[in-house]
Amino acid sequence: MESILPGAVALALATAYLIVLLRVENQNTILALLGVGIAAVLVANWLGWLAPVGRSFGEREDVLGLLAIVAAIVVASYFHEDHFVLLLLCTVLLYTVATLGLNVQFGYAGVLNFAGASFFGIGAYTAAVLNQHTAIPHLIVLLIGGLMAALIGCLLLLPVLRTRGHYAAVVTIAFALLLKTFLEVNDVLGGPQGLQVRSMNVLGWSFNNNIEIGGLRLSFYTSYFATSLLILIGAFVLVRRLERSWIGLNLDALRLDETAAGCFGLNIVRWKVTAFLLGNFLIGIAGTLQGMVVGFVQPNNYTFADSLIFVSILLLGGIGNPWGVAVATVIVVIVPEKLQVIQEYRFLLYAALVMMVLLFRPEGLLPRPVRSYFPGWRP
Amino acid sequence: MKKFGILVAVAVGASLLALAASHNPADAKDKVKVGFIGSLTGGTSANGIGGRNSADLAVRLRNADPKAKYEYEMVSLDDECKPNIGVQVATKLAADKDIIAAATHYCSAVAIATVDTYHKFELPIIVWGAVLPDITYRNKYPEVHRVNGTMINQNQLNATLLTKLGYKTFAVIHDTTDYGKGHNKYFSEALEKAGGKIIGTFGVTSDQQDFTAELTQIKSLNPQVIYFGGLTPIGVRIRAQMDRLGLNNVVFDGTSGIKSDAFIEGLGKFAEGSLSFLEGAPTERLPGGKFFLEKYNAQNYPNPPEAYGAFGFAAMNLILDTIESQGPDRKKVRDALNKVRKIDSIVGEITFDDHGQNTVPIITAYVAQDGKWVVWEDSEYASGKRKLPGQK
Repeated sequence: MESILPGAVALALATAYLIVLLRVENQNTILALLGVGIAAVLVANWLGWLAPVGRSFGEREDVLGLLAIVAAIVVASYFHEDHFVLLLLCTVLLYTVATLGLNVQFGYAGVLNFAGASFFGIGAYTAAVLNQHTAIPHLIVLLIGGLMAALIGCLLLLPVLRTRGHYAAVVTIAFALLLKTFLEVNDVLGGPQGLQVRSMNVLGWSFNNNIEIGGLRLSFYTSYFATSLLILIGAFVLVRRLERSWIGLNLDALRLDETAAGCFGLNIVRWKVTAFLLGNFLIGIAGTLQGMVVGFVQPNNYTFADSLIFVSILLLGGIGNPWGVAVATVIVVIVPEKLQVIQEYRFLLYAALVMMVLLFRPEGLLPRPVRSYFPGWRP
Repeated sequence: MKKFGILVAVAVGASLLALAASHNPADAKDKVKVGFIGSLTGGTSANGIGGRNSADLAVRLRNADPKAKYEYEMVSLDDECKPNIGVQVATKLAADKDIIAAATHYCSAVAIATVDTYHKFELPIIVWGAVLPDITYRNKYPEVHRVNGTMINQNQLNATLLTKLGYKTFAVIHDTTDYGKGHNKYFSEALEKAGGKIIGTFGVTSDQQDFTAELTQIKSLNPQVIYFGGLTPIGVRIRAQMDRLGLNNVVFDGTSGIKSDAFIEGLGKFAEGSLSFLEGAPTERLPGGKFFLEKYNAQNYPNPPEAYGAFGFAAMNLILDTIESQGPDRKKVRDALNKVRKIDSIVGEITFDDHGQNTVPIITAYVAQDGKWVVWEDSEYASGKRKLPGQK
């Protein structure tokens, strides 16, 4: 058994780095910090320190997973008064959930989906409409948002099943454009101006009030953060268990060679549909909560370009690796925000970074490891 | 251990660099932070960067002024013209207690989404570019103000100008987007007040090709003016089809949506005599436009101020004036901004109504003359040398 020490140390360092990065505002310091971060990872890789980290994550995932949750809570409690940072962290968590959904479709079953943001938006619009017009408890609205995304995703089932590769991609892109136009011309859903979303309210406790416990002031985003974290934990465990189960095996077989999988008696249609709907369900739940966090939905939030952001998170993190997705979301959401200091040039630098990664690590930052059938088992 | 040697060397070098980068000059005056948000990347970045530079100019001029009580620092953020990013950066700005007030947003879609954030965090803001009426009028937030005009003001000028020219009967064609419907609504209201009469209203979709049905009906109603609330592509089609149906003795009265070169290029000689109205004015025609452009060019910004730069400057200047008189306190600044009446600025007099909307914003009328959009007052139509169809 590998010790958990390397993983725990890496996690602690990453947490400390994240806190410092989120804290600093000075332009030079931010650029220096980002440089130091990249250099540190490169150097650690060069010294061969990353391999034991990877091994300990691979073998002691349960313990390290708990530690990752603790790390997230540490970061959040450090910034407990800071509305903006908590909003950013919520975005990170919810984007991770959505990309995990995409991961099930893309990474496991090989079903292309370039309309991730559309399903995200369906969730958010569900929240807007239901919170406005009904008294359905908001935790159930989260569930309904996910189901709506899956349900509307059913419209795409036939084209997705009948097409492959580029053509499947085009089908989903077309859906993204259609949905945006539909939302823009639809007056009931607010048209191009969008709708306000009422904030979350659980058992009479409104999520939009600051929390005060005995002189300790917490930002109202803390409750959103907690909810997002719970959803992320649920989604992560689900996706991880799914991957390790026989369902995951079937999905992998399907992705690697559809014909061969069919010859071995796997029901291709069934598994494609399962992966597509489950993925959309996760994306929808994340979108529903994101709608409530941001408080406003608009067709412009959910364009094809936003879908590409989800896809780029997946590519950057390493297709099929949930841990990679989590790391990549932190990078994709937080780095452009911290680069606000260089104003209109920030996307240049950011795009260059992404390109470098894809050029030198085409499998993503954390490529998916070989499936381990038994924990601690080495071939 | 050779690797470690290299590492240590690199680390020492890096920390020396960091030291060199982090020295701070001593300040004499108290520092006050103000904010700016605009679209600095994406499709509308030209306008956003122009506005950012203009607001920055206001801050630089103030800091160069020895009489200023505070030294100002502008935090400027990019909303990418996307509502979700907009809410994010608005939260960042508003949650920072050091920032006293901000000039925000060029894109209407973003501004309408972020006003709730400003209200929640009690940050006084002045919108410098977004034109949607709802930004100020949907809610009555004391924090939200706007220096530039809306489509309401545009249509008021439109209605008064045309009734003054002696036109009485109007037919309205509008597209069924928010833009077209808004124009229809505000023009109808303004025209009623001005004493004109609408004898027919026709909604069309924004990608309609053939308008024979609507135009034939309009021909039988025999209006003096066809008002068109929509964008250039269908504007071109409608005007061209008017000619085919012999509707050439009618004034084609457009909105800001057709104020583009594409409209004139698409129509050639048929564009002659079409009207359009646009918020703001060419910068050099603004009351303080000359002063502004002179100062702007002196700073050698790499990009031009664009159409709304002067409004960005005026908004930031108003914020700085208010902080000078009230001190760096959000609540006091907010209350003082709500009491702004008849204050001179480079975009003319500013008076905020009870929704924080500037009630005397500048709107400019344009007429197509010899293949160009000419400011109405400078045109040969206004001087009487040429006449619009049916002009007295």
